[in-house]
Amino acid sequence: MVDVPLNILIADDNKSDRLILAAIVKKMGHKVCVAEDGVQAVAQYHSEKPDIILLDVMMPNMNGQEAAVEIKSSAGEDMVPIIFLTSLQDATDLAKCLDSGGDDFLTKPYNKIILQAKINAFSRMSKMHYILQQQRNLISDHNEHMVHEQEVAKAVYDNVTHAGCLNLPNIKHMLSPFSVFNGDVLLAARKPSGSMHILLGDFTGHGLPAAIGAMPLAEIFYGMTAKGFLMDDILREINSKLKKILPIGYFCCVCMVNLSFRKQQIEVWMGGLPDFYLLRHDTGQVEKLASTHLPLGVLSSQGFDSKTQRYSLRRNDRLFMWSDGIIESRNDQGDLFGETRLMDIFNGNQDQEQLFDNIVNTVNEFTGESGKDDDTTLLEVKMVPEAEVGEVDIDMSRGMITGPTDWNMRYTLRGDTLKTFNPLPVMLGILSDVPALHGLSGQLYTLMAELFSNAFEHGVLGLSSDLKKDAKGFAEYYAQRELAMKSMDDGQVMFEFDHSPTQAGGLLTLTVTDSGGGFDYVGKQANQFSDAGYSGRGIPLIVSICDSLEYLGRGNIVKVTLSWNAKGLEE
Amino acid sequence: MARLNMSQIDELKDLMEEAFADLVETYISDCEEKITRLRAAIEASDAPLSAEISHSLKGSSANICAEDLSDLFKAIEDQARLDNLSQMPQPFSDVQDEYQRVKGALQNLL
Repeated sequence: MVDVPLNILIADDNKSDRLILAAIVKKMGHKVCVAEDGVQAVAQYHSEKPDIILLDVMMPNMNGQEAAVEIKSSAGEDMVPIIFLTSLQDATDLAKCLDSGGDDFLTKPYNKIILQAKINAFSRMSKMHYILQQQRNLISDHNEHMVHEQEVAKAVYDNVTHAGCLNLPNIKHMLSPFSVFNGDVLLAARKPSGSMHILLGDFTGHGLPAAIGAMPLAEIFYGMTAKGFLMDDILREINSKLKKILPIGYFCCVCMVNLSFRKQQIEVWMGGLPDFYLLRHDTGQVEKLASTHLPLGVLSSQGFDSKTQRYSLRRNDRLFMWSDGIIESRNDQGDLFGETRLMDIFNGNQDQEQLFDNIVNTVNEFTGESGKDDDTTLLEVKMVPEAEVGEVDIDMSRGMITGPTDWNMRYTLRGDTLKTFNPLPVMLGILSDVPALHGLSGQLYTLMAELFSNAFEHGVLGLSSDLKKDAKGFAEYYAQRELAMKSMDDGQVMFEFDHSPTQAGGLLTLTVTDSGGGFDYVGKQANQFSDAGYSGRGIPLIVSICDSLEYLGRGNIVKVTLSWNAKGLEE
Repeated sequence: MARLNMSQIDELKDLMEEAFADLVETYISDCEEKITRLRAAIEASDAPLSAEISHSLKGSSANICAEDLSDLFKAIEDQARLDNLSQMPQPFSDVQDEYQRVKGALQNLL
C-alpha cells in the first residue's frame, strides 16, 4: 500500500481489460476512475483531476492520441503523466503516441509488476514537479515582492536625494547608475545668502547598500544648507553621521563645493576622489584639484579636518567633477579609460561649450557594448553672474498667517564662542518660525551676516574697514584680524530681536550691540552711509534690505527695522 | 499451444480475487458480441472495422491469458490492416472453435 493514494484514470473501451487494470491499481491502494472512450476520458480528466492517466490507444468516438492532445493542452504546466495502453508494435504508431503527449507505454497482456513500477515512478516525478512548481512560484512571489519594495524604496530615496538645484543654467550633469539604486550622489542647493553648495559623493560599492547612506547625507546637506550652515559644519555633521551608521570598510568619497557668485570664488573640500579639472575660460588652461582628505565616514569627529581650498573663478571658468566610474570604465578588451584619455579630451577640445558632451560621448564610445560595472557621474559647473541663476527659491508652503508674531529675544555671544561659533543658522532658524520671514531668509541671512561681522570685526576687534579697499588691503586686514582674535579675551556681541504684529503684517527690529569702542556716526543719515568710506561695512547692502538703519550710543549699537506685508507676500 | 497460460491465470485469479468470476463473465459476453460483429465485418469485406474489432479481441484475450486465441485474432488483424480479408490463413470456424475451448476452460476455473 502507498502513503498517499493517487487518483488514477483508466480509459479503455474493453470492459474486461478495465477490470484487470482497476484491480491492479486498487491493490496498490490508489483510487480509480474509469472512461470507456476518449470523450469520456477528457470529461473525467476535468471532473476527477487524476494524477496519472492510463489511456488505451484504440477507442471509439475519440481515440487515445486525440484525447491525450486535449488533456495535455488543458493541463498547461501541471504534470499529468499519460501511460498509453497498447499492443501496437509498429514504431510509427508508438511515435504518434509520444507526439500526442504520451509519457510511457504499457503493453497487453498487462503485467502487474511493470505497471506498479511505472505508477510509482510517475508518482515520484509528479511530486517532484509539484515541489518544483511551488518553489518556482515562491521565488517568483518573493521576487515580485522585492521589486515592489524596491520601487517604493526608490521613490522615497529619490525624494530624499532629489537633485536640488542641479537644473540651474550654470550646471550640466549626468548620473548613470549601474543598478536601480545609485551609489553616486549629486546634490546642489542654494544657500540663503545666494551662494550655492554642490556635493558629489561616491559610496563604497554600488546598488542599494551603497545608496542607503545617501539618504542621511542628502537630508543633512539640504537641511543644513537651507538653514544657512557653512560647509565646515555640514561636512562635520555628514562625517560623524556616516561614521556612526556605515559598517567598517564602508565610506563615501566626497567633494563639496561652496560657489559664491558675489565673491567669484569657490571653496573646495575633497576626500578620496580622483583629481577634478578647473578649466580657465580665457586661457583654456586646465588646473587640477586633488583630494587632500580621507573620505567621509572614516575619521572620528576629533580627527576630522574640514580645511578647504579656495580658488578665484572668473566668468565662464568651469569646474569638472566626476566619480571614479568615469576613469575606471572599461572597454570590451578590459582596458581602463584612464586619466590620460580624459586629459586628451581637454587638450583636443576646441569648444568649451561642447566639452561636457565630448566627455560623455567619448566614454560611451570607449565602453561600447561591454556594459559598465560601476555608477558613473559627471558634473560641470560654470561661474556666472548671480542674475543668471536667479533668486533663491524659498519654500513658502507653510503659509503666512500662523506662527509667532509677538515676541522679543536676546542672544549674546562671548569669549571663545564669539571667536569660533557661527550663530547665524540658530538665529535664522528662530526668525524662520515667522512664516513671512521664512520667505525672506535669504535677505535676513545676508543682513545678520553683515551686522555680525561689523559688530565683531570693526566693533569688538576694532579693525578698520578702510583697509578693505584693495587686494593688498584685504590681506593686511586678515592678518590683523588673526592677531586681534588671539589677543582678545573679553568682548561680546548682543543681538536683540523684537517682532511685533502690525495691521498689515509684522515689524522686525534688530538691535546689535558690541563691546567695542564704536565710531563717529553723528550727522550721518542712513542714505549717506553709502559713501566710499563705509562700503567696507556693507552698509549699502544693509540699507537695500531694511526699512531703516540707525546708529546709537557711541556707534557700538546699530538698529535696523524690517516690516512685512501679508498681502504683498501672498501674491 | 497452450489454451490458457496456467501460471499467468493463477496470478490473475490472485489479483482479481472474488471479482474473477465477474471478469470471466464480462470477457465471455464481450467476446460473443464482438466475434459476431467481426464475422459480419469480414463477410462485408469491411477491413477497417475488422481490424478494429480483432485488435480489441486480441488485447482482451491476451489479458485473460488465452494466448492462442489472441494469436488468431492478431492474424486476422494483420490481414485486415493489409486489406487482404480474402486471404485468411485459417477459416473463421477455427477461431470460433478455439474460442469455445477457451470459454470452457475459463468456466472450469470458476
